[in-house]
Amino acid sequence: MLRMLLALSLAPAATSAQNATPESAARRIIEAKCVSCHGASKMAGLDLRQRPAMLTGGARGAAIVPGKPEDSLLYRAVKRDGDVKMPPGKAALGPEEIDAIRAWIAAGAPWTGEAKSAPSWWSFRKIIRPPVPAGSASSPIDRYINTALSKAGLAAAPPADRRTLIRRLSFNLHGLPPDPADVDRFLNDKDPQAYEKLIDRLLESPRYGERWGRHWLDVIRYADTGGFETDVLLANAWRYRDYVIRSFNNDKPFDTFVKEQIAADEIWPDNLDLAGAYEMPKSKAANLERRLGTSLYSLGALPVEFTFFGDQWRAEWQAEAVETTAAAFLGLTFNCARCHDHKFDPISQKDYYRLSAVFAGSEDREVPIVSQMGIFEYTRHQAKVVAADQLKRRLQLLDAAVRERQKSLPKGAKLDYTPEERDQRESLLRQLGEAYMKAPTLYAKANLLVHTAPVPDTHVLAGGEFKQKGERVTPGFPASLGPAPAIDEPADTQWFIPRRRKALAEWLTSRDHPLLARVMVNRIWGWHFGQGLVATPNDFGRQGDAPSHPELLDWLAAELIENGWSLKKLHRQILLSDAYQRSSQAVPASLAKDSENRLLWRMNRRRLEAEEIRDNILATSGALNAKMFGEPVVPELSREEMDGMRDPSQWPITADPAEHDRRSVYLFVKRSFRNPMMEVFNSPDASASCARREESTVAPQSLAMMNGEFLTKSAARFAARLKKDAGPDPAAQVDHAWRLALGRPPDAEEQRRALAYLPNAGLDKLCLLVLNLSEMIYVD
Amino acid sequence: MSINRRAFLERSGLGLGWVAANWLGQRAQAAPPAAAKTLPASAKAVISLFMHGGPSHIELFDPKPALNRLHGQLVPASFGHVQLQFSKFNESPVLGSKRTFQRHGQAGIEMSDLLPNLAHHADKLAVIKSMYHDGFTHTAALNFLNNGWPRLGRPSVGSWVVYGLGSESDSLPAFVVMLEGGIKSGPEVWSSGFLPAVYQGTTLRQGPSPILNLKRPESMTSASQRQWLDELKWFNERHREPRREDSALDARIASYELAFRMQSTAPELADLSKESAATRALYGMDDPRTADFGARCLMARRLVERGVRFVQLWSGNTTGGEDWDGHKQCDANHQRMAAKTDKPIAGLLEDLAKRGLLDSTLVVWGGEFGRTPTSDGSMNGGGDSLGRDHNPYGFTIWLAGGGVKGGKVIGRTDEIGLRQIEDGVHVHDLHASILALLGLDHTKLTFPYQGRDFRLTDVHGSTALVPRLRT
Repeated sequence: MLRMLLALSLAPAATSAQNATPESAARRIIEAKCVSCHGASKMAGLDLRQRPAMLTGGARGAAIVPGKPEDSLLYRAVKRDGDVKMPPGKAALGPEEIDAIRAWIAAGAPWTGEAKSAPSWWSFRKIIRPPVPAGSASSPIDRYINTALSKAGLAAAPPADRRTLIRRLSFNLHGLPPDPADVDRFLNDKDPQAYEKLIDRLLESPRYGERWGRHWLDVIRYADTGGFETDVLLANAWRYRDYVIRSFNNDKPFDTFVKEQIAADEIWPDNLDLAGAYEMPKSKAANLERRLGTSLYSLGALPVEFTFFGDQWRAEWQAEAVETTAAAFLGLTFNCARCHDHKFDPISQKDYYRLSAVFAGSEDREVPIVSQMGIFEYTRHQAKVVAADQLKRRLQLLDAAVRERQKSLPKGAKLDYTPEERDQRESLLRQLGEAYMKAPTLYAKANLLVHTAPVPDTHVLAGGEFKQKGERVTPGFPASLGPAPAIDEPADTQWFIPRRRKALAEWLTSRDHPLLARVMVNRIWGWHFGQGLVATPNDFGRQGDAPSHPELLDWLAAELIENGWSLKKLHRQILLSDAYQRSSQAVPASLAKDSENRLLWRMNRRRLEAEEIRDNILATSGALNAKMFGEPVVPELSREEMDGMRDPSQWPITADPAEHDRRSVYLFVKRSFRNPMMEVFNSPDASASCARREESTVAPQSLAMMNGEFLTKSAARFAARLKKDAGPDPAAQVDHAWRLALGRPPDAEEQRRALAYLPNAGLDKLCLLVLNLSEMIYVD
Repeated sequence: MSINRRAFLERSGLGLGWVAANWLGQRAQAAPPAAAKTLPASAKAVISLFMHGGPSHIELFDPKPALNRLHGQLVPASFGHVQLQFSKFNESPVLGSKRTFQRHGQAGIEMSDLLPNLAHHADKLAVIKSMYHDGFTHTAALNFLNNGWPRLGRPSVGSWVVYGLGSESDSLPAFVVMLEGGIKSGPEVWSSGFLPAVYQGTTLRQGPSPILNLKRPESMTSASQRQWLDELKWFNERHREPRREDSALDARIASYELAFRMQSTAPELADLSKESAATRALYGMDDPRTADFGARCLMARRLVERGVRFVQLWSGNTTGGEDWDGHKQCDANHQRMAAKTDKPIAGLLEDLAKRGLLDSTLVVWGGEFGRTPTSDGSMNGGGDSLGRDHNPYGFTIWLAGGGVKGGKVIGRTDEIGLRQIEDGVHVHDLHASILALLGLDHTKLTFPYQGRDFRLTDVHGSTALVPRLRT
């Protein structure tokens, strides 16, 4: 029922055609329902804006035969009488509307001027700041939400208590539990601004970027390997991950963040020649940081076999770039338009390749990111690398000689060395080790976007196949998304430095762009409330869900832009709303009417995400290593866990065990093998943009929590921490355990139960129990 | 199980077959309407063999000599037009088939040379050649086949079945999914949607350790872990009490009980080495081409044997592997995919029959759609050519066991295999029939959600097919 209400409120053309001429009635319908695809986008070649074009028609022939509705494709399509059924993928026109089309064609299809091709789909229309509804709430957010609640007759849940709030906020902003001392401080803070101060403190902590950076990494399908059979190591991917964390921590304006990722090299071009600098000047370092954003386009899942065919690799790489860009920044699924016009959204195949052309002439390349000095330091000592290589070669020669002597041995059998050979081998191995230790470490590199000249032409590829080149296209943006700047380029495109990505970035971040701000505020909202205002954050098209609060979404988008694209300001606005601070307790009457809580009469209870679950356990047991940044951490896995890995040598375990206790955002993300502890709690597979985490509840999770090595080890550490912090008194231990794990003391009954269990079971088992509590992984 | 719960179950006539009620439905409202289970049941369990990507009926079960006559020409206008995902139907040339067909079994069911092993079991199969729906993209079709609805948010067939029948095993998940790799949609195809979370499918890992962490910590004995679990349950139930509307919290408590019992049953379940060499060979586990799918098929039998209600196993891996989506060189693609699956599936049918399990286990074979009679790309013979597009308008699935009398063909497609033209079976009809074979009335198996009673078949579906399947 609610869904129907939402749908109705979004259907502007549902009015009857009283007092209208046949032309005006038909025009209203065609403008509202047809021209978004069959206008400037000319899907299937059809343009319904002007009469001559209607008569010519598109790929299927004339759209109208004036005077003969039954022979007119347009009429038959909307009547759904035949193979072409329009509009596709959603409800048919109403009988009145179909009659209006019929009457108009029967009347000779009069048509004056041009139909407006204003985008008819809500998310393609310009963002206009809607008026804030009247109401008593101080936050405009609440005015919108409360208005919708009272319209639907839903009673809101009461405000949450402070203990719930600090835990909610702490996980939400940091992905970590609040420190017990901070809980006490907040509970006892008499300052009326206590909640605001808490928000500010949490937003200022570097833990914030680690949590919210991880959200963004979901969106841009982050991984440390390339996937597919080869699953090659993307050795510099982590620099992008760190760049993202820093960007969130520094509250980098979101428009800048977008510009950097898409086109830092084109927008801040003075940094192109890194190798020329003797020392790294500050401005270059700053621009280098920006350019790390372009690593976004070096992280995709691509089968490396494609490198054997230059064109094929390019086609795949550009397709991946287009689809990730569309999903992440436009909230649209472009994938289908690679092979054909989008069946549901006004995105034509040509649009796809015009966007693809934006990436033509750009290439992901590994480049040094140190000064000339750094490179020189390496080259100066490079002979030591050669020396080590030669020792390796000597060892190989020795083995080859032994193998030659034992040619007859079956393949794979162990070689038989003489005692002299064994000594020689051991000595060589020792020398090799020493030589390796002396060899210089290779200077730092990053994968960045660079330009390749000349810029190759881009063609529509039939069926997405790189060999099937069709029409040549110029770079540009989908017409259905409203006016976009033209990309001026010299006629001879063979020799020039393109600024196509710059144009894309500027188009996306311009004030008039209908999608970027909407899509991002919806993501942020979803990461705060567990569900976006649009429940499909990567699909703002017709296949996606309608917004639950369309005006609130637009208001937030307008605010984001107005506030200089500051995400931290947006967080504050949302977090300060009553809606965010509501209890997650059910109000039975509201639950019955809106069980999915689409109208936000309460806070959604949330299961922690995989990373949060692991980090929470590490933090609670006192083992969390807060070190930030750097190369990915590869933890040790059990033998049975390794069973799922194709090639165990591709799991190079990090030497320092202290590293294994770092936050999950720093764990190695391997595309062909997900860390089982992460996977069982629904970590994304990183094959493509992940808009929303799944939340399954299955027995393998409980097995991991009961029996997994990580859990038993953590329980032992937790117990040791309790003994150290709380001393030998069991009551004090239990009290402390609850405070650390749950942010609250146990109540009398819990205390009694735990103390009764403790003597026989021992503290380790009690700690394992606490780590397994539902309250550990569900946040109210 | 609490006394009240037991009393409720007895009152509602659910009785046995619901032994796992203590983990399945902690609350009365999670049980299905009693009227849902009033049909005569011939099947107790389901094995769904999902050929992901869309296997070509034209290359496997539905020979169309006309295609070879028309090869390279446009489809005659008399066949009209259909909307396809990648190609334009009326602009694409007809693609003939290289397969040869023979009649098999007493019933003389036609099968191609890609299915030499399945051919021996023709008399076990009810082949439905007139399946149809209208979702021509993978995600829509996958959702349709698995959730009865082309979009997200509805419970999967397995979830409805487990909701309707409960579990026969109290020590294994009632609904198990075994993947080959990635799929073109996501976990929604085995999700419980708006049904309580306890009904969702549990995926097993690939490889020799399908379920991890089955060994309890060294510091625990079975008894001490049981006690530990009782304590944990006390705390978790207390936590759940004021949050009763959240079925995930119930599911979590239940999942610990299940996990505890799985520790004793699952290691034995996963240990395929205990099967005889002959059995392993029957499933093709001695051949690297069939070993992977064979192991899943054998595991399916072992799961059903141990009371698992609904097992779904997938052929096709969209991330780094291959599936049945023959857009390019459809014939070569199907040769490879059939080579991986034909022997294991035949082995599964034989083994189930030998062990007396086939009578009560419904096996359903099929993909999200079939393929077009027309070529999807060029006809030049190159790597990208000679493919077939998606065809949801007429395609083949087959059923075996679970009370289905084999050796019959239901329905047919037109001369070119484009549309079903006789005895059409819509996905909703298939779902209604599967439920009916299990004794469940698809019109009464409902769940209240957002103010109305929902069912797997929405307001559609017919069981007219069921008597034909059974006789």
